[in-house]
Amino acid sequence: MKISKQARRDARELFRTCMVRDALDENRARQAVAAVAQTKPRGYLAILSHFERLIRLEIARRTARIESATALSPQAQGQIQSDLTRQYGAGLAFTFTQKPALIGGVRIQVGGDVYNGTVQGRLAALQQSA
Amino acid sequence: MSTLLQEIEAQISGLKTGVARQNVGTVREIGDGVAKIEGLSGAMLNEMLDFGDGIVGLALNLEETEVGAIILGDYTAIKEGQEVRTTGKLLQVPVGKPLLGRVVNALGQPLDGKGPIDTPTFYPVEKIAPGIIKRKPVTQPVQTGIMAVDAMIPIGRGQRELIIGDRSTGKTTIGVDTIISQARLNRAAEALKDASHRPLYSIYVAVGQKQSNVARVIAVLEAAGAMPYTIIVSASASDSATNQYLAPFSGCAMGEWFMDNAMDALIIYDDLSKHAVAYRQVSLVLKRPSGREAYPGDVFYLHSRLLERSARVSEKFGNGSLTGLPIIETQAGDVSAYIPTNVISITDGQIYLETDLFYQGIRPAISVGLSVSRVGSAAQNKAMKQVAGRVKLELAQYRELAAFAQFGSDLDAKTQAQLERGKRIVEVFKQPQYNPMAVEVQAAVLWTVQNSLMDDVAVDKIKDFQAKLTEYLTTRKTAVMDKIRAEKAFSDALAAELKAAVTEFKQTYR
Repeated sequence: MKISKQARRDARELFRTCMVRDALDENRARQAVAAVAQTKPRGYLAILSHFERLIRLEIARRTARIESATALSPQAQGQIQSDLTRQYGAGLAFTFTQKPALIGGVRIQVGGDVYNGTVQGRLAALQQSA
Repeated sequence: MSTLLQEIEAQISGLKTGVARQNVGTVREIGDGVAKIEGLSGAMLNEMLDFGDGIVGLALNLEETEVGAIILGDYTAIKEGQEVRTTGKLLQVPVGKPLLGRVVNALGQPLDGKGPIDTPTFYPVEKIAPGIIKRKPVTQPVQTGIMAVDAMIPIGRGQRELIIGDRSTGKTTIGVDTIISQARLNRAAEALKDASHRPLYSIYVAVGQKQSNVARVIAVLEAAGAMPYTIIVSASASDSATNQYLAPFSGCAMGEWFMDNAMDALIIYDDLSKHAVAYRQVSLVLKRPSGREAYPGDVFYLHSRLLERSARVSEKFGNGSLTGLPIIETQAGDVSAYIPTNVISITDGQIYLETDLFYQGIRPAISVGLSVSRVGSAAQNKAMKQVAGRVKLELAQYRELAAFAQFGSDLDAKTQAQLERGKRIVEVFKQPQYNPMAVEVQAAVLWTVQNSLMDDVAVDKIKDFQAKLTEYLTTRKTAVMDKIRAEKAFSDALAAELKAAVTEFKQTYR
């Protein structure tokens, strides 16, 4: 879908109103979507789709995805959570998943930042350097 | 033994396998050699991006939620959703003397099948031009070997001189002739072990040219033995627009290495009209706002930042230089179009080639009235300055009188003499392609014309007279020619010697 400059600007404005102290207020976001869907301003579909994208990126920015080959112990999980909170501030959402394909180690992604300490990642790096 | 094992084990467990932070994003859109990438919050402008499998991109647009990147190489393997990483490195190309004699692409990779280029040095493609403090005025000449240029539009080392004209008027030929002339001078100095000679290395950047044209230029340079002093950077018409956009900057980086290492280099951008077109394409697919003729707003800055990198640096910084010869192709002689006016205003002068002159047989078809060199006269050889000082004015007067004389046959003796002199000067400046002349020969021939020693030779015999005189002077009067070369000026004694030599030749000339 082609999103006009005006629609982008409106979506950004809408997104700003949903941010409370640098964190996304989910209720406000729901209300905003409902209001736009009800009033149907010019280019409302484009506004909503860009708004959805901004929300998606914001959620990704504030979500820490931790992948490991085997299940992490509660202590290890707690350690990782406290370390990431220290670095990225409070309000991070954590998701822990198990991925045997990583062979060993942990891969952490917060927004665009990736810390890849898995065996699979090192093998890939080795393969690329060879 | 067990303690040793325990120590090693302890050391191994104590070793930290440092996990570096990487910045990643995902491809949201790909097409026309341009990718839109979501994420990559830490990407820098002009940073190289790693798409995996050896595919590299260049971050050109940093937007609120995404990064616009151009792909260098084959983009067909890239898929939506693919992961992209920042590398923390700016785009760089190999530089140095091992590149001489090679044909490379915009990334400095060899295209000539002569194996890999072994050089440890790399330079960033985009670099800030030398500042005011580093620079020095242009004082040393670039001998193009083309008499009309060396006499009337002299070029100095570190100058930017535009070569402009319609299609097939001999623009590339002027560049190629200059390269051949430099190679001859370099080789002659090497043979004589002349330590005072500063070799001039050449870089020919082909942008959007037909592969056959590039192959022809290479063949000419090889035949003239100029390749050992030349680097060819080729981004032909079949290369992607991104490579065509990058090629002049890559060539410039290669030239800057010579300048930074106290050497002189000459770079020919053939041609910047096609470069502007390639940049327009890249900008449009990146969805940058377009301006006049759909070129982006920064097309002036594109060329000014490229040409500003040509400079002559002071002794403190090595005394090196980079001379730029950009080429611009005009449409139907329109020099007032957008890109030509931009580049004319950036450069230190222009050599304007005219189609009409070309078809009249005046080759090189240099239009004397519109061609100018703003800084080169300070770098001109003194002997040349003595004999060529009035030539430009005389030739301009001749053109005016010739147009006027068409309407009447009764002309006074002075006008008649001016017309006759003008005809002879025009004949003398005709020169076959790929045949550069030594500066002392040019000076001697022009001296002969200026001192009325060719006035009694018929106009249609001038070229024959000139060729035989040149042969006579270079084979039988080498002492006089050596003196012109060494003294670089016409003293009264030298002028008398040359006059005697020419008079002696005229007695035998049939």
